[in-house]
Amino acid sequence: MNQTGNIASAYSPPFKIVAKYFIAGIIAFILLNLLLLFNYEDIGGHHFQPKILSITHIATLGWITMIIFGAMFQLVPVILEVKLFSSKLAEIQFWIFAAGIIGLVYKFWHFNSALSFTAPAILINLAMYIFIFNIIATMKSVRTWNLTGTYLAAALFYLFVTAVAGLLLAANLDHPYIRINHLQYLNLHAHVAFIGWVSMVVMGVTYKLIPMFTLSHNFKLTLAKIAFVLINIGLLGISTIMHYSETTIFYYIFVPLIAVGIILFLFQVLEIFKKRIRKKFDVGIKFSSFAYIILGITTLLGTVIAFIDYQSIINLTLIYGYIIIFGYLSMLIVGQMYKIVPFLVWYHKYSSKVGFENVPMLKDMFNEKIALIEFYFMMTGLILATISFSFQINQLLLVSFFLMLISSVIFATNMIKIFWS
Amino acid sequence: MITKEMKISEVLSAYPQTLNIFVSVSPHFKKLNNKILRKALASRVTVEQAASIANVDLNTLLFELNKSIQNSFESIKSSAKDLQSNATIIQKPKFFDEINPDKILKLDVRPIIDSGKDPFMDIMTKINELKDDEILLILNSFEPIPLYSVLGKKGFEHWTEKERNLFKVYFYRGQGKNQNEIPKEQRPSLQETDFKKMIELDVRDLVPPEPMMKILETLSKIDENTVLLVHHHREPMMLYPKLEERGYEAISNKIEENYYKVIITKKRN
Repeated sequence: MNQTGNIASAYSPPFKIVAKYFIAGIIAFILLNLLLLFNYEDIGGHHFQPKILSITHIATLGWITMIIFGAMFQLVPVILEVKLFSSKLAEIQFWIFAAGIIGLVYKFWHFNSALSFTAPAILINLAMYIFIFNIIATMKSVRTWNLTGTYLAAALFYLFVTAVAGLLLAANLDHPYIRINHLQYLNLHAHVAFIGWVSMVVMGVTYKLIPMFTLSHNFKLTLAKIAFVLINIGLLGISTIMHYSETTIFYYIFVPLIAVGIILFLFQVLEIFKKRIRKKFDVGIKFSSFAYIILGITTLLGTVIAFIDYQSIINLTLIYGYIIIFGYLSMLIVGQMYKIVPFLVWYHKYSSKVGFENVPMLKDMFNEKIALIEFYFMMTGLILATISFSFQINQLLLVSFFLMLISSVIFATNMIKIFWS
Repeated sequence: MITKEMKISEVLSAYPQTLNIFVSVSPHFKKLNNKILRKALASRVTVEQAASIANVDLNTLLFELNKSIQNSFESIKSSAKDLQSNATIIQKPKFFDEINPDKILKLDVRPIIDSGKDPFMDIMTKINELKDDEILLILNSFEPIPLYSVLGKKGFEHWTEKERNLFKVYFYRGQGKNQNEIPKEQRPSLQETDFKKMIELDVRDLVPPEPMMKILETLSKIDENTVLLVHHHREPMMLYPKLEERGYEAISNKIEENYYKVIITKKRN
């Protein structure tokens, strides 16, 4: 039971800030696809190459993390029923973060330019510390804690680890000091980023958003709780052993823990879907469900990679990274954005007009038919890219990247339509 | 003894005088004066939850509540003595002999109680309407001891007659004390705010923002005498600021997981 007086002003989503992060993320998504298309001949082989590193960081920082930041500013207050600690900090963070990303991406692309790796890495770190501080300060006033909050708190911790590891790696590129393999640290940086930071957010938010969008009730979150414990033990485990060189035996322990944890998460999602009242799959849910399937595939693939000498299959990590970014994360983000952004804009622009004048329905705010085309383009592009990487067919890669670019433009068009509706 | 686990409705039915305490502790509890709201809410909310809703310290609230019933324990004791003395002396106040029977207003609360309702509000309404020279006669099947202290605070004295299973309790204004002594702000709060109409809306199978749209569109039908009861699958946090903007207020009451009853009323000033 609650009284309006206490919460009337408790939170109002900082629309301008959230929109800024989302727009920057969408621009990065198009840029990412453009760069892939124009440099398709350079994409292949080992992942440690200037252009691949550059594009990877546009994807992870510019697209994925930018969207997550925006989404968290929007969702943390809603999910945890608190007011965001500071919109001002979120604004400041945006510019520092954007400057950092541009610097880092530029530096990776022109590997031998005068700019240091460390300088933009420091900016990105600073932006992330501001974010972590802002969200922790927000969480401090939470009265009713929930499982999503736990996942998000863990994600913040891994964001910190990722940021610090990234900074150390950047410094190492400027002045080599890491005694063991640079690539092993890169491995740690990437896995903590994808599983610890991004996936923890994805999972935590999934437990709230999927039931909200599909009207699913009366499911238990038992699997989600076990998954949390397993993934965290596994992640802390591999983060520790990656500081040592002879570690094969420990991989046999920690990697399966993470894999089982993610599989349990997927079963949890399945349970939520089974209990849904809304049977129809709209375009947002289609994207999301496909993304969860891809997550299952990447988990199995990642487990396999951990147990084989993947250096002999030089393209395997590239395929792995590609389907994580485009299959799992981009599909999921696009799907969730088709649900979140219309609501956000609707609430901001129209909720005060309901009952006084005609307001549009969410589905009227964008073109669902083109969105569906986007869905099939992305799916096809993903499959084609995987085939091209595996058999090194460059022409097919060109087709794949072209489909991806078109789908990102469709996505951007729809988002612009929503923002301007 | 009132504990934090007790439901508000239990407390109120066992000790009707605690309504005053609730109302005086926080304006939030003025809603308890309303029958519909009381029915919908009081049976679900514990004293502990109520304290947090009203932002008052739980221990303070419990202390105040228990203090108020302590008084009635004492009045039970003293009225037990009175009863004995009444029984032995059988003396009624002198002016009763001279009183005009027209000035005695009768209220038989037995049918109200038999129908499962709390007659407290009816009694208070009658009491508030009572003119200075009138006497209220309450007919009941048991002695309404808690009323003595509640009405005592309002300046009423009582005299109780027992006929077999029927208690006749006369309330009359005591000498030297009159209603004006009662703090003014307490009086309106005791007045029944009765909603004549209730509109129900079930939005449980709608996805956001359709529940909000439906609710906001229905608001135009809600006036001072109408209450909107919404069946919702979650607490509509995003709706509250929108209601506030339009001069409505809401209370959400969790019935079970994924079922909330949201009661929306027009704000009164």
